[in-house]
Amino acid sequence: MTRTIRLAARQALLEQRSFWRSAEYALFTFAFPLMILLLIGAANVGSHLPGTHIKNTTVFVPGILAFSVIVAAYVNLGSKVAVLRHDGVLKRIRTTPLPSGAYLGGLLASTVVTAILITAATGLVGGLAFGAVPRAGESFALAGGLVLGTVCFASLGLAISSVITSAESAGPVTYASFLPIAIISGVFDPTFSGLPDWLSRLVAAFPVKALAEVLQNTYAVRPFPAWDLVNLGLWTAAGAAFAVWRFRWHG
Amino acid sequence: MIPDMAGKRDAAVLVAGLRMSFGGTEVLHGVDFDVRYGEVFCLLGPNGAGKTTTLEILEGFRPPTGGRVRVLGLDPVTQPARLRERAGMVLQECGFPRQARVAELLDLWRSYYPNPRPLGDLLEVVELTDVKNTQVRKLSGGQRRRLDFALALAGDPDLIFLDEPTTGFDPEARRRCWAAIENLRGLGKTILLTTHYLDEAERLADRIAILRAGRIELCGTTHEVATRAGLATRISFTTPSALRRGQVPLPDGIDLAVRGSESVCHTGNAAMTLRLLLAWAHEHRLGDLDGLAVTAPRLEDTYLQLTRDLP
Repeated sequence: MTRTIRLAARQALLEQRSFWRSAEYALFTFAFPLMILLLIGAANVGSHLPGTHIKNTTVFVPGILAFSVIVAAYVNLGSKVAVLRHDGVLKRIRTTPLPSGAYLGGLLASTVVTAILITAATGLVGGLAFGAVPRAGESFALAGGLVLGTVCFASLGLAISSVITSAESAGPVTYASFLPIAIISGVFDPTFSGLPDWLSRLVAAFPVKALAEVLQNTYAVRPFPAWDLVNLGLWTAAGAAFAVWRFRWHG
Repeated sequence: MIPDMAGKRDAAVLVAGLRMSFGGTEVLHGVDFDVRYGEVFCLLGPNGAGKTTTLEILEGFRPPTGGRVRVLGLDPVTQPARLRERAGMVLQECGFPRQARVAELLDLWRSYYPNPRPLGDLLEVVELTDVKNTQVRKLSGGQRRRLDFALALAGDPDLIFLDEPTTGFDPEARRRCWAAIENLRGLGKTILLTTHYLDEAERLADRIAILRAGRIELCGTTHEVATRAGLATRISFTTPSALRRGQVPLPDGIDLAVRGSESVCHTGNAAMTLRLLLAWAHEHRLGDLDGLAVTAPRLEDTYLQLTRDLP
């Protein structure tokens, strides 16, 4: 067991080093949520949610936190595993006695590190630029929400990696499969409304809005997001089950 | 087919009656061969002969449809983890984590094994010491291939599988890969390699098995394979003037053809033919036979003959 953890830690270290060595990739992974945060956030300064005293940015910043989690856990991990599989790196790992748990554990640990860094950056910039901070006493709830979100979207990332058939399509597939949902979930626009009833019910079934609401609840007072927590739990289970069922070591 | 049955007892790889089917199509029709400890054994054959399938079964990636397989005394199907601690595998095409540096990657690989080889040693064997701090994505094709070898050697395995180690390389890259394989042999490693290049088999292998359309056609040393294919040794010499003028009778028991300035015969028993020939020359005062040349049957001839009638 200790050996597996040690090997996983070494793997995670190599993944992190590799991530930061591909400077372009690392930069854009971080720049994407931060740019959206600053540009759209600037447009919301001074506005309040209709009929309330809640500032738009107080809801918008945790929405972008959710977006950051999805980029780190779903897009990065999903496309990474697809490329590793397509390039034959997973196949090479199979030629060694490395336990598969240690390898996948290392990939997941590295994903968690990236998620922590990117959400910390987003939260910090959101606080400094727009004064949006979590409610007093909600830090643990926020941390818990981030962990749950990371676990949920990492399992979905592993799941989607199995349906990506080429290294070239890894980026487009992972982004295109969540960006439209993120947009109609109102992640980028706190006042977003006017969806047909059936569509807003459909959107509520996806985990993007659920994660955003869980995080928004730690910034602004809202009803306890019980249904959102159930939603994330179900998607995590579905993602993990699909990932285990469809996982392949070779492309 | 294999003369040395005693060698089978402690073979590094033992394959008997190996059969493999995909869907309803059988691609291996009862393959037999063995690889002895410390030798370089080459599975030679054209594309589609079943070389890679055979290797994948030995490596534990595919369970065979039938037959018996032992690798280092282990069953690859039921004991893959133990096998992978003792056997290094170089697959045909396998990617690297691109941003990893050479020495960093080797060190990571070393951590997977109970008794890894020293890092400096690994770099030296494959001549990558100069690029140890280079990112893998910046290496040439030949350097990557040698890094493949080094990764397969990281756990100091007893046996190394090499699947088509130099396919698609330019002559210089091939030469350096061969040098690296020679270095592996120098470490006393048992090596099982597949190739469709004759010169590669001829140069590297102690023994060769020719695999064609899912069957072993021939197995043995380069010379044995060529001889067993029914190809003869060629003996030639400059035709002595007395012979050309018909002043000397042709030798008995030798099928000698006088082709102008050169006389040629083909034989399955070079030593006896030479003895007869030299005795005949001595008897008729022809001296030592100028330009006497003995040419061993070439693997290429065997191979071409065997693979010519492929579909």
